[in-house]
Amino acid sequence: MSDTLSGNAGNGRADVIHDIGYRHYEGPRLGAGYATRSLYTASLRGAFGLGRSGKSKILPMAMAVIMIVPAVIMVAVSVYLKSGKLPIEYVHYLTIMQFVIAVFTAAQAPVLLSRDLRFMTVPLYFSRPLRSSDYVRAKFAAMVTAVFILTLLPMLIMWIGSMLGSMPFGYNIQHFSYSVVAAAFYALVYAGIGLAVASLTPRRGFGVAAIIAIFMVSEGVAGVIFQVIRHQGHDAAAHWVAMLNPGLLIDSTVGWLFGVTPDHGPVGVPSTLGGFVFLAEIALIVVGTFALLVRRYRKI
Amino acid sequence: MTTISIDRASRWFGNVVAVNDVSMTIAPGVTGLLGPNGAGKSTLIHMMSGFLPPSSGSVVLDGVPIWKNQQAYRQIGLVPEREAMYDFLTGWEFVLANAELHGLSDPGEAAKRALATVEMEYAQDRQVSTYSKGMKQRVKMASALVHDPAVLLLDEPFNGMDPRQRMHLMELLRRFGAEGRTVLFSSHILEEVEQLARHIEVVVAGRHAASGDFRKIRRLMTDRPHRYTVRSSDDRALAAALIADGSTAGIELDYKERALQIQAIDFYRFTELVPRVAKEAGIRLLTVSPADESLESVFSYLVAAK
Amino acid sequence: MNVTVARLTMRGLLGRRRGLLLLALPLLLIVLSVVIRVVAGQDENTAAGILGGLGLGTMVPLVGLIAGTGAIGPEIDDGSIIYLLAKPQPRWKIIVSKLVVAIGCSVVFAALPTYIAGLILFGTFENLTLGYTIAALIAGIAYSALFLLFGVISRHAVVWGLMYALLWETIVGTYVPGAQTLSVHQWALSVGQKIADPGVISSSVHLPTAIPLLLVATVGGAWLAAARLSRLTLAGEE
Repeated sequence: MSDTLSGNAGNGRADVIHDIGYRHYEGPRLGAGYATRSLYTASLRGAFGLGRSGKSKILPMAMAVIMIVPAVIMVAVSVYLKSGKLPIEYVHYLTIMQFVIAVFTAAQAPVLLSRDLRFMTVPLYFSRPLRSSDYVRAKFAAMVTAVFILTLLPMLIMWIGSMLGSMPFGYNIQHFSYSVVAAAFYALVYAGIGLAVASLTPRRGFGVAAIIAIFMVSEGVAGVIFQVIRHQGHDAAAHWVAMLNPGLLIDSTVGWLFGVTPDHGPVGVPSTLGGFVFLAEIALIVVGTFALLVRRYRKI
Repeated sequence: MTTISIDRASRWFGNVVAVNDVSMTIAPGVTGLLGPNGAGKSTLIHMMSGFLPPSSGSVVLDGVPIWKNQQAYRQIGLVPEREAMYDFLTGWEFVLANAELHGLSDPGEAAKRALATVEMEYAQDRQVSTYSKGMKQRVKMASALVHDPAVLLLDEPFNGMDPRQRMHLMELLRRFGAEGRTVLFSSHILEEVEQLARHIEVVVAGRHAASGDFRKIRRLMTDRPHRYTVRSSDDRALAAALIADGSTAGIELDYKERALQIQAIDFYRFTELVPRVAKEAGIRLLTVSPADESLESVFSYLVAAK
Repeated sequence: MNVTVARLTMRGLLGRRRGLLLLALPLLLIVLSVVIRVVAGQDENTAAGILGGLGLGTMVPLVGLIAGTGAIGPEIDDGSIIYLLAKPQPRWKIIVSKLVVAIGCSVVFAALPTYIAGLILFGTFENLTLGYTIAALIAGIAYSALFLLFGVISRHAVVWGLMYALLWETIVGTYVPGAQTLSVHQWALSVGQKIADPGVISSSVHLPTAIPLLLVATVGGAWLAAARLSRLTLAGEE
């Protein structure tokens, strides 16, 4: 019970009322830009489980390990055997690892968005200088960066390994740069889809299931339709199925852009026109998911 | 007559000791579990309701441990603190489901009665998700009452209730206590406990700080003086007469209040002393009132003493 | 089995969004089957690919995941399960009731559509459709039990279930053949293999191995889930 001294006791002590209540903040106020950047950093760390409990680190770190370890082994073996070139094309490594990227996205996109939706803290963000578009931008950028890190790391390892193994520099730097583009595509497309779906539900578990369902089912469907069309004899046209599945889409587009298409399998473009259409679709997905997110969060 | 006995129970989570060697008995009637936030009240209630085992010691209902004892729920009604309920149900459906889960022979009748007791019939056909906080609390109460339990455990039941709802709930709990049920409710708000519970258990930082009638608890703490405010026809003379006796530790003439602020260290002697001295000196007593009999001061003494 | 628990579970599970996704998956399968049948006619490989790959390999585990974890996960997460637990109901009854609902969802949203898709694609020849349908049924039951168990044990049940169904069963299974012995997918296939005409369906696990493993997964999973549920703690405001 705080006392408020009043009156005087006639003994020379000064009469003071101490105000120990609310204090105003008089320091500098950083603007919305700072807030957005902070949200970006915090979300990026959260995507890898940093700054949260131990359990939330397991999955993202496990996925990162699964992404990196085969690359390390591959590089080590190639260097040891002095084979002169890496056994797999840079971008094909990412193709093999598509599942891992999908699982990472499916698991972590809800981590970024569901908590705020579940506990309805989103309006709290918007009562600050942060606008809804800033929020979306920060989260989108964070997720894209996270997936980009995930996909770039093994590529970096392969490239550094190639240099350590004295493999042809020009060839490797060229193909490494192809993989950087591929990694960027993966980051933008997967993150966009993941976030767009995650923003629809406050329940994290359900968000995870929904995202992975989209990736898996679209892949299955695309595979089936590919086989059927090929069976009918339209080999080239069968590649249009890439429009149905993000992974396939990226693979085909990257293969077309840089001439690294594998000989068989659903990866590939039906024609040059198809290549441009695929590129357009990638752009559409990225822009579209971002726009959807902005619209969604404007209404909250 | 159902009694919950907690015997030297402790509960720790890793390095954090939430409940530290607590022993208490919750008997029929209304008992208030009082303590600041984080004192371990919720942990204690979770242990009493069978949702947390004690790390050591025992928590029993009429001699039978409550942990992993589903049959105990025939006698226990629990009103949890968290708001989460089956939002998609209506109030009626929710209470009915609870009645059915208890295996009652006429769940519909029991549900009707329970909803009538908490006066929620008017909204029973609306979805729970549309309820206000106080309405949700009342439906939770109904779900806890539906099987006519002998023990009622309420975790912060007055949270979010407006004064009228609070009065109504207090009346309800008083009635249950009078019927011989064992009612335990937790709170960190002193007025609620003061008005409702005769018997309180005070928990501070996981330790059992005090138990009993709050006035009696106060009396037990004779190491801290009682304060009284006394007004009379001649304050100074009364002060002089009172300080001469060993039962007073200090007297202050409060000019603003025009009263004497007296610190008494021996309560019984003091209460006998004041009228006697006044009579002998011919002083008229105008006001004699305790300045710190409320639970608030009890509580703050306990908290400060730790 | 308790009817009230089942009713509550069903209403909670088939809420708007989850119900939509559960409906969308089989609908997609059936529509695809119709289109393929119309375009490409009747073909065994295609039918096996769709029913085995898209159906049994993707849709059935997904439905099992959504139904199994959804039957108990959200309730534990937000604490509303306390209303089921603070009752004199044996925990195994609660688990069985939820399991029945999850299995029911699996039947309706996975096994039945597999049957319909199979009929559309391949009719009843060689018992292919029946084989895959029974496989989907069995797999659905096992997945439901397993994922219900995950839901009781872990808050991140969906993610763990995903890791199992996808990474373990598909990727690890491809590279480490031994892992296929511990795969619900393969166990179900071996049952389907028995039912369909010889040579139509193949599995890397023998039936005498698969059946006891299926029983262990289903019954053991349910029993473990009940045991864990009876020890569930709600320690404060989490």
